[in-house]
Amino acid sequence: MVELRPSEKRGEPAVALLLTWFLPGAGHVYLGRFWTGLWAFLLIEGLYALGFLLSGGRAFEFLDPELRGVFATVLAPEMGNLGAMIFQHKSVGFGSGGPTPFPAWVELGSILTALSGVGNLFVMVHAHLTARTPDNAPRRGRHPVLLLVATWAFPGLGHFLQGRRRRAAIVCVVLLGLFLAGTWMAGGANLSRMRHFYYWSGQFFLGLPAIVAEILSGRPPVTGETALGDAGLLYACMPGLLNILAMLDVFGVAERRWLEKENSAASSSSAELGSKAPEFESAPPA
Amino acid sequence: MELLTHIVLFLILSFGICVMGVFYAEPEDGPALQSLPRRYGTFVGACAVVAVILLVVEWVFASVR
Repeated sequence: MVELRPSEKRGEPAVALLLTWFLPGAGHVYLGRFWTGLWAFLLIEGLYALGFLLSGGRAFEFLDPELRGVFATVLAPEMGNLGAMIFQHKSVGFGSGGPTPFPAWVELGSILTALSGVGNLFVMVHAHLTARTPDNAPRRGRHPVLLLVATWAFPGLGHFLQGRRRRAAIVCVVLLGLFLAGTWMAGGANLSRMRHFYYWSGQFFLGLPAIVAEILSGRPPVTGETALGDAGLLYACMPGLLNILAMLDVFGVAERRWLEKENSAASSSSAELGSKAPEFESAPPA
Repeated sequence: MELLTHIVLFLILSFGICVMGVFYAEPEDGPALQSLPRRYGTFVGACAVVAVILLVVEWVFASVR
């Protein structure tokens, strides 16, 4: 991480990050970015509220009864929006336990609440980066958070937008290949949060390919035992987790370039990091 | 045959893990890809050691024969 002098900071990055974690937009308001904070709040909490309404707040009931507990949803994407997740736990928890049918849109609702959690992760990163970016800095190049979102949305897209085309192609082929192979081996059983809550959570970090595949598949019923079903679940989940590594790779490089440009007179540590940063400017995206 | 299938599946998934690992560790493509065989070998070798230890532990402590 590129360090700035205390006088160059807008606020404490950790405070902005933690505030955002509990309440989307609060970190930006703390940093004096009221309107950004308000938009972030409306978008993130709006997604969660819509998902909550569609699912009747029953997405956590997908968990098997023996797995339910206070920390059972810590590994769910909703963890990114901690305040809303606590609200859901406090208001409906894991339901009454009775055999009540799920609402028709429960799976779509659970996708939206998960999307809210992942979206707030990006807002948290934005707040943290904003806190470390000087007020008078010029704005050049693509924003690191935009590249982060792109990498989540489609594996390799962030690398491609950075001009790292060979890496983008390899990341895309490896991650999508594993996901498709896993989906085939599992017979599509991985494409339902109701069936595999935790595997689905990992798979969700593969972004749009996983979401689109789930919606297009219509969550086919499992009609028999698949020989490689368990391996397929693992194969479909792993690329989502590995995409987090890709996101960190993209963000690390983007952050160095972003803060370097903005701190031309800045610290020697920045210059030192810059010497380690790879040169991609020679091959910009078309 | 089933064991062979699972070993092949493990080797394929391990390759994906190692590719993403070297990309995370090294921002330049050249050095990253150069270090891939060594890292892949280390990963598979270490996993094999863990598997042998687990088999020994199972054979010693959990065998029902």
